[in-house]
Amino acid sequence: MNMKDLVALGDRLLDIDEAKFRQVVGLLEQMGDHPDIRQTISAIRPRLVELRPNRQPTLKRLFCNPFEDLFEALGRADPMPLNVIERSLMNGLWPLVEAQIGNERLGRYRAALQDGPERWALTHAFWADCATAVSAIADGEVPGLRMTPARMRALADIAIILSIAPEVAELKAALAPRPVPKLHADHIEAIEAIGRRVSRNRPAALKNFIILAASRLTDPSVLLGGLWDMDLGQKSTDRAALFMALSGTVVAQIEDRSRAFQSASGAGTDRMAVADLALHLVASLDATRAAMEHSRNKEFDQRLKEVRNSVHGMVRTQVLQDADSGIIAALGALEGGAEERAHLRRAENQARALRKCATFADSLGLRGELRAMTQKATASLTEKAQQALSGPAGNARTGYTAIRMIELIAGPAEANKIMDEIMGGSRR
Amino acid sequence: MRSLTNFAPSTFEERGAAVAFTTPVLAQTRVRKDSRDQLEVLVPNLSEGRGVYVVPWKSLPLAFPMTVHDRMLHDLIARADGCSPDNIRKAVLEAARCGLAGADAVTAAEAALRDDDEQRLLINYQLIVEALKAVGLESTDILRAGLGSDEGQRLTRDLMTRAAQRLSLEPTELYGRIAELAVLMEPIGLASSPRPARLRRLMRDLLGFRDSMTDWATDNVSEAAPIGVFCAEVAEHTVNHARNVMGQLDQAMAAFEMLLRQWETKRPQIRKAASRLSWLLDGWEYLILLWGDAVAQDRHTQDMAVHDIFRVIPLLPKDEGRNDQAMLADKLTTSQRRSVRAYVDWRSGQLDVDLVMRIETIKGKAA
Repeated sequence: MNMKDLVALGDRLLDIDEAKFRQVVGLLEQMGDHPDIRQTISAIRPRLVELRPNRQPTLKRLFCNPFEDLFEALGRADPMPLNVIERSLMNGLWPLVEAQIGNERLGRYRAALQDGPERWALTHAFWADCATAVSAIADGEVPGLRMTPARMRALADIAIILSIAPEVAELKAALAPRPVPKLHADHIEAIEAIGRRVSRNRPAALKNFIILAASRLTDPSVLLGGLWDMDLGQKSTDRAALFMALSGTVVAQIEDRSRAFQSASGAGTDRMAVADLALHLVASLDATRAAMEHSRNKEFDQRLKEVRNSVHGMVRTQVLQDADSGIIAALGALEGGAEERAHLRRAENQARALRKCATFADSLGLRGELRAMTQKATASLTEKAQQALSGPAGNARTGYTAIRMIELIAGPAEANKIMDEIMGGSRR
Repeated sequence: MRSLTNFAPSTFEERGAAVAFTTPVLAQTRVRKDSRDQLEVLVPNLSEGRGVYVVPWKSLPLAFPMTVHDRMLHDLIARADGCSPDNIRKAVLEAARCGLAGADAVTAAEAALRDDDEQRLLINYQLIVEALKAVGLESTDILRAGLGSDEGQRLTRDLMTRAAQRLSLEPTELYGRIAELAVLMEPIGLASSPRPARLRRLMRDLLGFRDSMTDWATDNVSEAAPIGVFCAEVAEHTVNHARNVMGQLDQAMAAFEMLLRQWETKRPQIRKAASRLSWLLDGWEYLILLWGDAVAQDRHTQDMAVHDIFRVIPLLPKDEGRNDQAMLADKLTTSQRRSVRAYVDWRSGQLDVDLVMRIETIKGKAA
C-alpha cells in the first residue's frame, strides 16, 4: 500500500477492525513525518487514544510527554484540562526546538528512546535542554508560528513544565491510569511528596504542577477540594495564593463548559446531552463551592452564582420546556408508523433527560417546575395508555409504550401502579 | 442464604433457567421449581456479597422493585406450563414484543419469532426429504412443484405413503414421528442445513466468546483478568459438552432410517439430548452480547462487564462436568473483592435507569 492510498482512507480507518487498524498505524509511522500523514493521524486520533497501540518512540513524542495531559480532550466524556495546550501547536513548535538544540545534540539523545542503562539520565537531560530551548523560543521572535496570547501562555507553560519534567513523570505514574475518578490517600501522599520537591526547587512551577495533577482526574474540581489540606511545603500566604489561582482556573473552566449549550436552540438540542452536562456542572459547582468554604471570596461566589443561574436557565429551556409534547407526539407517530423508531428514540431520550433532572433539580431550585412537568407528562401518558389498553379499539402497543414512557419519567413504582389501575388488578 | 460452594447445583433443573429481566439486580437470575413444584428464583451476589438468595416467585415483586416489563414477564412465566429454557424463552419474547422494553426489543423479538417460523418450515421439509432419502425415494419433484403448492402437497403425500409402506408404518404414524422430530430439532436444525438454527449459532458464538475472552485476559494485568480466564474456561467446557451432544444428535439424524425404525428406543434419547443442549447453552446469549458490547469499549467497562458475566455465568452442574466449577468460582470470589457497587443509582438509591438502558440495548440485539 502506498502513502496516497493510506491517506485516502482517512475517516474510514475509524471503522476497520482492531488488528488492521494497528497494522495501518504501524505503516503510517514507518512513512515518517509528513503533513499528509500528520493529517491522517489527527483524523484517527480518537481511536488511537482508545486503543493505545504501541507507537514508535520519537523525540517529538518524548518532548510532548510531560505536558500531553494538557492537550485538548478528544472525546466528549474525556476530562477537559484546566490550561489547554493546542495539539496542533506541536507541529510548528517541534522543528523550532530541534533547530534550537541542534542535530548533533539531538542525535545523542536518541538513545533515550530505547531501553538502556543511560535512558533516564538522557531523558532528563533532553527535557532540560528542551525547557531551555522553549524558553528561548518564547522570549524571542517566533518565525513561522502565528502567535496569539493563548499560544504565548502555552509556550511559557511548556517551558515551565519541561523544567520539572522528571517530577511530572513521577506524578503521572502515581496518578495512573488516567482519568482517576477519586483521590485516595496514596494519591494525595504522592502529590504532596512530589509537590514539596517542586516547591523547594522551582516554586514558580508549583501551579503548573497542580494543574497537571488536576488534569489527570475525571473532574479537576476534585483536587480543589483536597488542595487546602495538602502540605506542599509553602508558606500559608503562598498556599492561599495557589489555591486562589487554581480556583480561578477551575471556575473559568466551569464557566466555559456551561456555555457549551447556551447558544443551542431548544427544539433541536439533544436533551439527554444537556441533562448530562448539567449533572456534571452541578457536581463541579458543588465540589468547588465546598472547597471555597476555606477562603470565602466574593468574586468567585458571584461567578459561581452566575454559572448556577445559567445552568438553571439551560435546564429549564432545553430540558423541561415542552418535554411532554415531544413525548406524546412520538406515541402519535407510533400509530401512524412513520419513522417510528427515530421518533420513539428521541422521545425516550427526552423522558430519560427529565428523570435525570431529578438528581440535581434541588440544587438548581427547579424542583417545583420539574414536578409540574413530570405530573403533566404522566397525566397525558396515563390517559393515552388508558384509551389504548382498556378501550375496545385501542392499540395495545401504544398503550404499553405510554406506560414505558411513564416508567422512564416517573420510575417503575409509579408506572406499575398506573398499569395495575388500568388492568384493574388483573395482572396478578 | 448459602455459599456458592454449598449451593453448587447437581442438575440443570436445580440450576434453573435464566430469565432476561431488565431490572439490573435481577438480570439473568434463574428460575426453577421447588420441592412443592412452586416456582422460585435464585438471586446471586446480592449487594456484592457471597452466596445466592432463594426467593419464592410470587414474592419477587415485593422483594425487588421491578420494571414494568419485568412485572409482565413475571406474570407470563407464572402462567406458563413449566420453567424450561424453552418455556422461559417463549415468555421473554412475548413480553419483549409488547414494547415495554423499548422498540429495539420489539424488533428483535419479532425477528426471533419470524426466524423460528422459518426454521420450523425448513426443518419439516428437510425431515421429509431425509425420510424419503432413507427409503430410496427422490424428493426433487416436490421441490420443483413447490412445497406450498397443491401439486407439491399431493406429491409429498404420495411419496410419504410409499415411504411409510417401505418402513412398514402407517402414513399417519410416519407423519407423527416427523412432526415430533421437527419440534424437537427446531432450535438445533440439521448439520446439512443451509441456515444454522438458533442453538448451532449460539454454540458458534460461544466459541467466539471463549476466544475473545482468552485474548483479552492474556497479558492483562487487571484484577478482572483471572475472572476472565475462568469465564473462558467455563465457556470452553460448555462448548465441549454441547459439541458432544450435538454430535450425538447429528449422528442419530444421519442414520435416519434406523431412527424411524427404532423410534421407541431412539425417541427418548433424541428428546433428552435436545433438552440437554438447550439447558447447556441457556443463559449464554445475553453474556455473549454483553461481552461483544464491552469489547469495543474502554478497559474499565470491560472489567465491569467481566464481573457482571461472572455474577451470572452458567456453571455446569456437578453431574455434568468433571471439574467442580462452583468450587473454582468460590475460590475466585475470595481473592476478588470489589468495593460496594449496588445496582442502583448512587445519587438517589433508585433504579439505575442507565443500567436498565444498557440491558435493553443488549436485549435489542438478541435474536
